[in-house]
Order: sequence, then C-alpha cells, then structure tokens
Amino acid sequence: MRHFSEVYALMRRRNKKQYALLSGCCFFSVLLITAYICMMRAPTILNVLPEGGDSRKQIMMIFTLAVIGCAVFTTYASGLFFRQKSRETGVFLALGATRAQVRGELYRELGVISLGSCAAGALLGGPLAWVLWQVFRLCVVDTEEMRLVFNPAAYVWSLAFSAFVIAMMFFLGSRSVKRTNIIDIVQESHKSEPIRDVPRWYGPVGIGLLALGGFLGYMSSFFFISVLHWYPPEGLTAVFYVPALIGLYMILLHTVVNGWNGKKKLYKDLIATSQMRFQGRQTVRNMLVMTLLIAGAYFGSFFTPMLGTGSMIEYDTRPVDYVYNFRADQDIPLEEEVRALAEEYGVTVTDFAAVPMLRLAVDGQDHIEEEGPMGTTWRTEYKEVMSTELFLSASGYEALTGEHVDLAGGEIRGVVDTEGSKLGFAPDKSLVTNYLTGEQLPVTSLEPLRYDSLFARYVMNDADFAALGAGLTEEWRETQVCFNVENCEETYDFAKALFNEIVDRSTIDVAQFSGWDPVVRDQYLAEEGVYFLDRENCAEYGFTVIDYAQRDSSAFRLSWHYMPAFRILDRMDFVKTMAVFLILFVFVAVVCFAAVFVIAYTRCMTIALTNRKVYDDLRHLGASNAYLRRSVRGQVKRVFLVPALAGTSLIYAFYVMVMYFNGSPAGITPSEAAGLLADLAVVAAVSALIYGVYRLTFARVCKALDIR
Amino acid sequence: MLTVENLRKSYQVGKTSYEVLKGVSLEVGKGEFVAVMGPSGSGKTTLLNCISCYIPADSGSIRLGKTELARLGEDALAEVRNKQLGFVFQDFLLLDGLTVRQNILLPAIIGGVVSDMTEARADQLCEVFGISAIRDKYPAEISGGEKQRTAVARALINHPLLILADEPTGNLDSKSTRAVIRSFEQAKSALEATIFMVTHDSYAASFCDRVVILRDGVVWKVLEKGATERETFQDQLLDAVREMGRE
Repeated sequence: MRHFSEVYALMRRRNKKQYALLSGCCFFSVLLITAYICMMRAPTILNVLPEGGDSRKQIMMIFTLAVIGCAVFTTYASGLFFRQKSRETGVFLALGATRAQVRGELYRELGVISLGSCAAGALLGGPLAWVLWQVFRLCVVDTEEMRLVFNPAAYVWSLAFSAFVIAMMFFLGSRSVKRTNIIDIVQESHKSEPIRDVPRWYGPVGIGLLALGGFLGYMSSFFFISVLHWYPPEGLTAVFYVPALIGLYMILLHTVVNGWNGKKKLYKDLIATSQMRFQGRQTVRNMLVMTLLIAGAYFGSFFTPMLGTGSMIEYDTRPVDYVYNFRADQDIPLEEEVRALAEEYGVTVTDFAAVPMLRLAVDGQDHIEEEGPMGTTWRTEYKEVMSTELFLSASGYEALTGEHVDLAGGEIRGVVDTEGSKLGFAPDKSLVTNYLTGEQLPVTSLEPLRYDSLFARYVMNDADFAALGAGLTEEWRETQVCFNVENCEETYDFAKALFNEIVDRSTIDVAQFSGWDPVVRDQYLAEEGVYFLDRENCAEYGFTVIDYAQRDSSAFRLSWHYMPAFRILDRMDFVKTMAVFLILFVFVAVVCFAAVFVIAYTRCMTIALTNRKVYDDLRHLGASNAYLRRSVRGQVKRVFLVPALAGTSLIYAFYVMVMYFNGSPAGITPSEAAGLLADLAVVAAVSALIYGVYRLTFARVCKALDIR
Repeated sequence: MLTVENLRKSYQVGKTSYEVLKGVSLEVGKGEFVAVMGPSGSGKTTLLNCISCYIPADSGSIRLGKTELARLGEDALAEVRNKQLGFVFQDFLLLDGLTVRQNILLPAIIGGVVSDMTEARADQLCEVFGISAIRDKYPAEISGGEKQRTAVARALINHPLLILADEPTGNLDSKSTRAVIRSFEQAKSALEATIFMVTHDSYAASFCDRVVILRDGVVWKVLEKGATERETFQDQLLDAVREMGRE
C-alpha cells in the first residue's frame, strides 16, 4: 500500500456499513420518488385525474411532501456520513494531506456512490411501480383501464431529484473538507446539536397556531372566492397554512425539549430528555418531516374508506333499486322489455314506474369571470334563461315515489337528497321557460322535497307541466324510470344486461358528458363559437370523451350524462369503477409510510451511534440493563410516537373540518360520519404497523448499544 | 530550529473575547527535547496548536528553521506538516482501519514518497520502539502504550525537523508512560529528533532538556535540566509548580 487512494479504499472497506447506509438512503429516496412520479405521470392515472381537479392537487401535494421528506432524510444521511468520516479526514489533514488531495479522493468516492445509487434507484423505480401496480391488480381488481402505461417524461423528474441528491452530497462533502480548523474536524463527531431554551408556552401556543392555521388555510379559499369574489393566485391560500406549520414546529420543539409532564417525571426521564435535548435540532426537523409525511399518507389512506363507506351507504339508502332516464328520441327499454329481460334472468320486477319529464330553461344568477389587474374576479348577473333543468309533474313524482305533493299553479319544489344536501344544486328558481316556444311561467320555489334517486329534479303541478310542455320536441323531453326487484342482491346479471342494453341502444347524440346543457351550449356558441362540453371538444378541454365501448371504465361511469343508477351494479362494480383512484391513493400512502419508517429508523440508529459513549458511561455508573432500555425507549418512543400522534390527530381533525364545511348546509352527514369511523379503523391498523416498526427499531437500537 | 516570538491568540465566546496567549516567546534548538507545562487554561495546547498551524495566531511569529509559518499558504502548510513536523496526539489519532505498520506509513503515503526505503524505515521504527510484533495488528487490538509508540513512530517516518506532542502520556498508565518517554529518548538519541511536548505530567517532563512553564498565557519560568539528575529535576519542577500555586 503506497498510494493515498489505496489508503482511502482500505478505509472504505473497513467502514462499509457507513457507505452502505448512505448508498441505501440515496437509492431508497430516488427509488421512491421515481416510483411515485412514474405512477403520477402515467397516462393511466392522468386520464382519471382531471387537470386542475382536487384529486390531482391532493396527489401533487402529497408528492411534494414525499419529495421534501426524501430530500431531508438523504441530506441527513449525508451529513451523518461526513460527520463519521470527519475524524479520518481530520487525521489526514493533520498529518499533512492537502485539502485538494482529500477532496479528490472524496469526490471520486462520492461520484461512485451517488451516481451508482441514484442510477439504480431511478432504473428500478419504474419496475417497482409496475410490480406494485400488478400486485394491486392481482389482489384487488383488474380491469382493462388498469393497464399501466408509463410516460418516459416521468424520468425527467427522477433525474432532477437524482441531480439534487448528487449535488447535495458533493456540496456537503466539499464543505466538510473545507472546514479551516483541523481541530474542529477532529472533534466534530463529538459535537452535539444544542437548541436554545424553549419556553413552556410553546406547547399551548403551538396547538393554538396549528388549529388557527388549519382553519385559516381551509377557509381562506372560501373567503376569497365567496366573499371577495376573487380567485387568489395558486399558492396564496397555502400561505394561510403557514401558522399551522409554525404551530406544529413549536409543539414538536416543546415536546422534545420540555416534554408535557412538567417536572413530575424529571428524574425518571432525565437521560432520555437531556439526550434528546442535545440532539434537538435535527430530531425536531426529522419529526416535522415525519409528521407531514404521516399526515400526507393518512390523507391518501382516508380516501378509500371514506369514498367506499359513503358510496355503500348511498347505494343502500337509495329508495329505488333501479333508476334511469333517457331522452324521448332514444329507443330505450321500457316496462315490457324490462320485464321480458328480467324474466330471462329469473328476476321479478315490482313497482315499475315510467313518467315523462320536461327539459325546461330556468333563470338564475350567472357566474361571470373577469380578468383584471388583480387577476380573476367574478360577479353574478341575473339571467332569465340561464340553463335547463328536468321537471316532473306532481302526479309523475307521486307515481315514482308514492308521495303526494300538492302544488298550486306557479309553485315548484326542487328535490334534494334525504340528508338535505344541496351541494351543486340551487333549487330556488323564479322563472321557467319553454326554450323552444318562449312560453314563460313565473314560479315560487317552495321547501325542497327529499328523495335520493331524483336528486336535482323539479316538480310542478300537472297543469303547468302540460302548458309548458306544449311545443317541446322529443329532444327536450325525457322519461324517468324507477323500479324495484325482488332479491335485489341476486340480480347483478340482469342489471348488467339492462345496462348494456341501455348503452347499446343509446345513439351517439346522447353520448354527452354529464353537465352538458343545450341552453348553455347555445350561449357559448353565440358568444365564443365553441361549447367545451360538446363531444368533439371534450378532449381538448380536458373532459372525458364518452365512448360506449368503454362502458365499464370509471371515466365512463362517472361522467356519462345518462348513466343509470342500479343499486346492485353500482355496489358490485364499485371497486372496479374506482380502482385507479383507490390504488393510486393506496400507493401514495405506501410510499409516504415507507419514507416515514426509513427516516425514523435512521434517526433512531443515529441516536444509538451518537450516544454510545453516554450509555457506556451509564453502565460504568452502575445502570442496569432495564434502566438503559428504559432510557433508550424514552428516545425511540419520542421519535416514533410524537410524529405519529401529531400527524394522525392533525389530519383527522383536518378531515373532520373538511367534512363539516364541505356540505350545504355545514355539518356531518350520516354517510360522512360512517366514513370517518372507517378512517378510524385505518388509523388503528396503521398505528399497529407503526408500533411494530417501533418495536423492531427499538430492538435494533438496543442491540447496537449492547443492551440486552 | 523553532522560534516563537511574541505570540498572541484570543478566542471569542459569544460577545466576550478571552486572550489565551499574551505574547509567548521561546526557542527550541536542534536535537532538544523541550516540554511545556502549566495549569489548565495556561495556554499550553493553544500554543501547540498554533505551532502546528492547526489554528491561526492573532499576531506574533512562528519560524521553523528559516520558514515563517504564518506566511505560508494552505498547500505549503500541509507540506510543512507532512515533511517537517511530526505529530503525537493525546488520543493517538490512529486510523482504526489501518494496521500499525500502515498507520506508521501514513504520512509517507500522504506525501506520495513510499519506496522500499520508506517501508524499511517503518520496520526499523517498529524495532526501535518495540512494536515489531504487533505491526500487523489493528489499533483496536493493541494497548494504549503500544498505540502511542505507534504514533511516535508515525511522527518520525518522514524525518521531520520537529516532533510536536500534545499530552502524549495523558491517557496512559505509568508503565506505558515510561515506554512512550523511552521512545522519545530513543528518537532523540538514535534518530536525532527534536521534540516539543506539552504535558501536565512532571514525571514525563523530567526527562526533557528544558521545561517551559506557562501561566496565564505568558512564559512564567524556564527550567534547564543540564547535568541534574532526573529525580532532582522532577523535584525542581514540582517545587516550581508549588511556588506557582502559592503566588
């Protein structure tokens, strides 16, 4: 051994665990980010997450958290590596090596580690996403729509993250060599990370700021849009969440430095508390990232049970088993054909009712957006003819529901769901117009009716219905069908057959995206020459193009204007219909939790490494293994428990708040309450998993410290 | 060989500045074995770190031979540390991943001058300091005294003008201390080494030709051993320490 590089290589071989940890962290972070981004940029996912939609924003938000988390723990692992290496560097410099000499060897080494681990992570990230996706397809659901197609452009993101990791490692490496004072370098591995004293009011004030930030962040958007009539620029509302972040940091600082036990258990927790205090800065930063990641992971995890429970309750509480409507110019099965088909499948149809509906124009406050110096603002403008709604006669409503409704001439009642939710539906109208003849009827809107299966319809008295319907062509008339069956649970095949029959017999004229409106269309054509929901324009404006061949896809079932609501079909196909959403959110949760576990494990092992001497000293002072274990547990528990508690309660409270303010009127509906209960079950399962990883880590830390 | 003139050094702690060296001047001649003693906080280690160029002095001059160390750039300083100075630290600072022999060769490897002759010198140093039997062992497998003798051998591998030793016996028992001091004496007599040692230990210092006693950042007294017996010289050192305590 005659060359400096040989000494370096020998040291590398002797310290291979440190190198393995750094390489592993880089590899793991790039692997996770690549897998995530491959999934997010896959056309399969993008097709079901509309541009600018909430789901895509949520996924992006959690992705941002995952990137921050991975960046922090990679940086941390690098810092740890250079700190461990500092003694060796210090000895080389003390014995007369030049900085350039040491830096040259270090750069060569870092080049191999960073390029190798990042390349491996980037290369395997795609296959990992693919394998996970296939496992989901195999174990959960498999549809044609679930075929995962990757977009090579995703690798640009992966490369960008890899470039960050490599640049960060070289920066920290260069900085560690650049330290001018050799004495500092030699002694660096013994340096602690003290934090300033933290006043005890940090805890309660932190909780207050957290609650305030969460509330302000969520409500600021509502305030800007509904009160100021102004669409704030992207990111502005995020600023209102800042107090929540500061509050969270204060809570964690208080927890690490002061604890919540006051002085009662001062001597019992003395070692754990004081050691955590001296490594406070990094610990708190790690805890903050873990808390945010846990919150993000839960946000993803909650989607499935919330949607599933809510949907199942909605299916179960529907008053009618089979509901569909169709335009009068369509040749869709009616009672005779339905009964014949039912007979083929051994199904007994009961309570069949088919009643006519009119598509009439209604007045309302049009929402007009304007660009100005402040950005986009909006105002309302009353229009006598704004859009269309479907109207039933009072007798038709009675035929469908069995509920008699007394309405005088000029009186109408909108229909809302049984929970009284009016979300997306404004039942108060004052003028109804036959769009073809121009015949108008001033109306008074009475208290809405409640009937799930006829949500957003209107009911008027029979005479008004007849008068306003005069002169309407078939395109403006529809038929509403409702019927029940005996043993609904066993009629899936019949439901599927009827659904197929309806789709097969619908013409291309009604292959419309839900929300398509003939009056709005005319207004757009007159003003802008193009209507964004016309079938030929949907793709260009980011809406699903309704394709009868894709009738089993979630895009079709969630977007077709005339999608039937068959209880058994919706229930049995729920997982299939929502598969892409479900699996994407589960995947996101898996990635975030994996990052949390790696960060927590790394942090705890660092504590073991940093405090080895303290534990040796305690042993020399006569501390028993039980005492040492308790002290280690005090630290490991804090690293796991505090972020888990904070992240879980934070996101759960946020979710409850969202659910509360989401509906109109504000409040928690029974289905939302059931969803929140299901989320609690997820919390219990994940908490058990976190506990398992905590136990494992605790055992490894004890082993590393030779504590039996 | 080594000339230190009016050396000053202060540390800033928060807004307070502490002057640790308040104008220290001393000389070490070729082949001399000189110790610096003094109570904690007297500036011994700071003086050594300034001479080693590990920390910059505020003012004053440090000359090694004819070279003014403060004027040297970083690479030139590294070369001085590698070729003209040898270091022995209290904590040994051996690299755990290298064997005793590899540790001894390290300064030569860093300097890029390892030849058959260098390897032969490493083996010779092992013999001189009685560590040949452990030359293929790792630091974790040898005693504290053996570690320090390895460090002394390492300090000598590049034929330095001066060996700087910081509390070399501070972590050792009496037997190991004797062995290390013996190795310094051997270095001086057999290899004509010049040694500048900082120590608390009057026993270790009593082997030196001259002892400089620092107090509050200035040279308080210089004691020459001359033809005095070692035991007598140690008594003189202890008397000086007692006298310093009385003032």
